[in-house]
Amino acid sequence: MSQANDISSIDDFAVVERPLSLPAQVWDKAVVRRAVILAGLALLWQGYAMVAGNPLMFPSFGETAQAFGEALLHGTLLNKAWTSVKVLLLGYGLGVLLAGLLAGLAASTRFGEDLLGTLTAMFNPLPAIALLPLALLWFGLGTPSLLFVLVHAVLWPLALNASAGFRGVGETLRMAGRNYGLKGWRYIGLILIPAAFPQILTGLKIGWAFAWRTLIAAELVFGVASGTGGLGWFIFENKNRLETANVFAGLGTVILIGLAVEGLLFRTLERHTVRKWGMQR
Amino acid sequence: MNAAFRKPDPFPTPPRTEVPAPLLSVEGVTLQYRSGHALVTATHRIDFTAAKGERLVLLGPSGCGKSTLLKAVGGFLRPVEGRIQLDGREIVEPGPDRMMVFQEFDQLLPWKTVRQNILFPLRQARHGWSKADIDEKVRQIIGKVGLTKFAESYPHQLSGGMKQRVAIARAMAMEPAILLMDEPFASLDALTRRRMQDDLLQLWQDTRFTMLFVTHSIDEALLVGSRVIVLTPHPGRVRAVIETAAEALGGPGSPRFRAVHEEISGLLLTERFDQGGGI
Repeated sequence: MSQANDISSIDDFAVVERPLSLPAQVWDKAVVRRAVILAGLALLWQGYAMVAGNPLMFPSFGETAQAFGEALLHGTLLNKAWTSVKVLLLGYGLGVLLAGLLAGLAASTRFGEDLLGTLTAMFNPLPAIALLPLALLWFGLGTPSLLFVLVHAVLWPLALNASAGFRGVGETLRMAGRNYGLKGWRYIGLILIPAAFPQILTGLKIGWAFAWRTLIAAELVFGVASGTGGLGWFIFENKNRLETANVFAGLGTVILIGLAVEGLLFRTLERHTVRKWGMQR
Repeated sequence: MNAAFRKPDPFPTPPRTEVPAPLLSVEGVTLQYRSGHALVTATHRIDFTAAKGERLVLLGPSGCGKSTLLKAVGGFLRPVEGRIQLDGREIVEPGPDRMMVFQEFDQLLPWKTVRQNILFPLRQARHGWSKADIDEKVRQIIGKVGLTKFAESYPHQLSGGMKQRVAIARAMAMEPAILLMDEPFASLDALTRRRMQDDLLQLWQDTRFTMLFVTHSIDEALLVGSRVIVLTPHPGRVRAVIETAAEALGGPGSPRFRAVHEEISGLLLTERFDQGGGI
């Protein structure tokens, strides 16, 4: 019946579990691999800038880093970045609010659904920045114009995603919610929104990406109206003064803020909501 | 379903000497729903009543409108003819006095833990119970369905049987006037289903809730119900009402149980032949 194998001579491969070698462990971390790529790019940049030898057109990595540090510590970069972020948050908040109202209306009435469908079909393909001339005409130079294009950038993608999310909520979950006696906005807020949260989160991310890009672009056109000006204005101003290293530093800041929000904020939000709930892997 | 059942006694209800006013009354209810461009008649002039503490089963093949009927009692659908009353009041909309347990596993709120899932409707319904009372109640009911260890787990971490337990616990915690069960065990494997049926009876033994249970399984109907309403399809009509618990069927292996089983099979099959052999 039974048969015993000779297992006294265990070779290397028969060990069940063995830690990887240290270099393999380090290389396994995405952060490390990314950092190596970044370092390589910086090196390439530095090398090319030194060969080109034209700091006016293409400052080196070192010069840019120095300009970035200077602008951050002694200059106006932090101020300008904060100005941009403030306007962005305001516009984003307004957009989210309006999108919530529209999507809620779409979730509760057929007319609302048609309204949202028609409006998104019309306005979603229209880049927000294309509305800037009109905004300038209506609201003049200043924050209201920026808010107008920002709301446009956030509203449609978010409303579209939220509404699709609401429609995707299963019949069973809907009935369970109504079984509790929930109706109207309480039903939307306590059942539909959490149930559609994966799509809503996607909408928030897309809206954010649109808004951030739109804002910087709009600020390149104007941005002094509020007195301090934003990041886009910082870039434009320094280009006029031929402070090219500062232009690079400004662009770097745009990237850094974008990364921070997309990589840190939304990633964290995702981990604590849809991933924890098993609604998204 | 298998036949190797061991549990002998499906808890007989006390014999009804005088006729009490029914808790639930369904009178001449015709239900219709739209399916594409067609208007489907799900049930045709159904009559039945359920007394307090009764385990009433709606049994029938698919297409007999039993689930639609249950949804109408739940208030999700208005009858086009007839009326449904609970405690003398006509049912017009869904409400927490008629808690439903669905067949699907996705009836739990995925963003809430087991405990929160049971707690949430209690908070929403505003029974006027204090917070401490509610917390204690939730703790007790979680213990009753044997999920104490999983109280802080999210639904996606549970097995199908556990999810159904949570759904039943959630419904029972609300102390509804009537518990509506829409094939709650149909998606479970045979072994888990048997255990759940026993556990449900055990729970009923403890609290004697009123239950309206929908199933297409004759075995399940005989095990779980104290009275079985046999429905025939296209459109759903009451074919027979069979007292099961009062007759003390004596468990699935017994001759009596098999006889009633045969009788119901016969009822459902002859209907098919009456209509020309087609389904």
